[in-house]
Amino acid sequence: MDPSEVRLLKRAQGDVNRRDALRTLAAGTIGAVTSTTWVESLSALAQAHAHAAASPVATQGWAPRVLTARQNTTVITLTELIIPETDTPGARAAGVNRFIDGVLHEATPPDRDRFVRGLAWIDERSTALFGRAFADAGVAQQTTLLTRLADADNTDAGDRPGVEFFRAIKSMTISGYYTTEIGLRRELGDDGRLMLAEFEGCTHPEHQG
Amino acid sequence: MQIIRSPEVHPVIVIGSGASGGMAAWNLTRQGINVLLLDAGSRFDRFTFWTHVQPWEARERHARGEHPPKFFLDTAEQPYVTPPDRPFALTRVWGHGGKTNVWGRVSLRYSELDFKAAVRDGWEIPWPISYSDVAPYYDRVEQLIGVCGGTDDSDALPGSKVLLPPPPPRCGERLLQKSIQKLGIPVVAGRRANMTRTVRGFPPCHYCGNCGAGCDTASFFCSADHLLPEAVATGRLEIRSNAVVARILTDDNGVASGVQYFDRQTGAERQVRAKVVVVGASCVDSTRILLNSKSARHPNGLGNGSDVIGRYLCEQIRLNHAGYFPALEGAPTRNDRGIGGAHIYMPRFNHRSGEGRDYLRGFGAQFWNTGASASGAHGGSHQIPGFGAALKTAIKRRHPAWFEIHPFGEVLPYAHNRITVDESRTDRYGVPLPKIDYRIGENERKMTEHMADTVEEIVRAAGGVLVGYQRGQLDAMGSAIHEHGTCRMGAEPKRSALNKFNQMHEVRNVFVVDGSAFPNASEKNPTLTILALSWRATDYLAEEFKRGSF
Repeated sequence: MDPSEVRLLKRAQGDVNRRDALRTLAAGTIGAVTSTTWVESLSALAQAHAHAAASPVATQGWAPRVLTARQNTTVITLTELIIPETDTPGARAAGVNRFIDGVLHEATPPDRDRFVRGLAWIDERSTALFGRAFADAGVAQQTTLLTRLADADNTDAGDRPGVEFFRAIKSMTISGYYTTEIGLRRELGDDGRLMLAEFEGCTHPEHQG
Repeated sequence: MQIIRSPEVHPVIVIGSGASGGMAAWNLTRQGINVLLLDAGSRFDRFTFWTHVQPWEARERHARGEHPPKFFLDTAEQPYVTPPDRPFALTRVWGHGGKTNVWGRVSLRYSELDFKAAVRDGWEIPWPISYSDVAPYYDRVEQLIGVCGGTDDSDALPGSKVLLPPPPPRCGERLLQKSIQKLGIPVVAGRRANMTRTVRGFPPCHYCGNCGAGCDTASFFCSADHLLPEAVATGRLEIRSNAVVARILTDDNGVASGVQYFDRQTGAERQVRAKVVVVGASCVDSTRILLNSKSARHPNGLGNGSDVIGRYLCEQIRLNHAGYFPALEGAPTRNDRGIGGAHIYMPRFNHRSGEGRDYLRGFGAQFWNTGASASGAHGGSHQIPGFGAALKTAIKRRHPAWFEIHPFGEVLPYAHNRITVDESRTDRYGVPLPKIDYRIGENERKMTEHMADTVEEIVRAAGGVLVGYQRGQLDAMGSAIHEHGTCRMGAEPKRSALNKFNQMHEVRNVFVVDGSAFPNASEKNPTLTILALSWRATDYLAEEFKRGSF
């Protein structure tokens, strides 16, 4: 049995809890080794959530279950900065904020708190730098702050909570966005065909043995 | 609670309905023998599988309160015990068809390298059978279940003339194959029980790639679809669902007389009688049943005078690495779903001269998830630095370029790697839980080094880039889901529990037909061999019935 399949199915079955999610990571999800526990934990949960989980998807009447309206706006802003609209829609149009709220709903209270504190940290830092909360800052200002947090060489201890938070929300955004119809079909170009008479395989002359 | 005892004596009781038990029930009933089949779960309705549910649809369904079939046994219902510092990732499926509902379908013939490994290197006992004993059964099983594969034939992976056409490789698999062959290591078409042509009326694979959710068209082998209905149609099979077997009962002479089980829904204890008991509950659960079947004549568990039952648990070690081919970045996204697993396989090569290895046994390699993922961005995408349009572009460009490498290596059978029953810890029926104590040793550490060297050589030769690479980082113990060895067959009754027909040396009316009967694990996936051996054992049993032995 391919463990990758077992993991996906366990997720789909809804057997996912934090321990399983961490074990999934330990059992071979790529990377995240350098992350701190809560970042790993939320990232793994988001990957699990992408294939299962009871996230509300109704287009009308949706309200966040974990995030406040203000926090939700900040999450929308952040996710759209991470995966923006280009020639295809971005994270905002794909509803990644709703996905993240769903992940947080399932997360352990400590992990959820770390995420929410990360949001607060972003606002505090934005206010200190630009005199405005993150969602109200200009795009150039937002980009400046995120560039600092995304920098792998940033060892500034004062930035550490923000660096961790950014890693978590980036991972959650990737998991959420690319498992939507927008992300998988329109952006990645998956043809969505689930019934083929024959599998064609590689037909490139340059790849043949 | 009152124990319900049924006076009827069944010719055969089969415990478990997966590859081993399903095969036993199928083969016995078609030869005219009545069977009572006990399964710890119930039927999974394949028309309710989420085979074609996309991730966003799955979230919508969950939000509506819908769930896919619950294949995997919850440890809250049935725990197992491990030492705190040695976890073991046991996966159990209780229900008709067992793990064949969701298995990986890799179907590799074992070779003389596997059957005669101990003859060559002296580590523990050899199989009491050779490739020539099993070969006719491999032919039959492959035709019965529909295995696709190539025309290759080697000392590591014996060929077959009855395979279905294999699907062609994906682009990344072509690159891997070409590069590995340049290193002098053969890479062959994967062999998988995906029916690429119609087999016995079952429709061929339609390449949705989501086999792990169970196949709603039964286009890969699942005992519940491909064996049990035919057995039921003979009129000789009774399937009793939700029958959680606790013990095999014996008479005053130590001969098996029946089975004790608990109804999973009501908790009621029941006892059923039989002339012969065939055990196919999968390695850990079969071993648990045998060890719990203690009596005055069998104080150490049923048929365990040799004290080998429970010992020599062997699984496999596995690396799990991912990377991408810059040469494939930016290529148009293709539909790479295929048969839901690797289309190529690297058979064991380390036995050939010039390898200079310093350990016993060997490893082969699989390459799942190579190509464009159909279930989201590849996990490695999370490692791409930055954010914004540049990140989005990089994830898209890399999407068709991902590859993975998964070497599987044999873990030697060690006496100290064992399943015991923990009398102080019982399940909801009061039956002692299995305790799994398993660790790898120096041989496996040396093999891991060779596996890691090989991964690095392959990636270098193929011009790939590894992502999140940690050299020698093994997957969790138990996660290959290939447990073996705890009720092994062998020529010597002092060192083995079963003879060459999977019959207990000490209790001649009990047969154990699952992976626990294997003396060693091999580096290969075992299900094809389990099916072949269960067929062979029950041919022998049917002959014995005809001769009036039971």
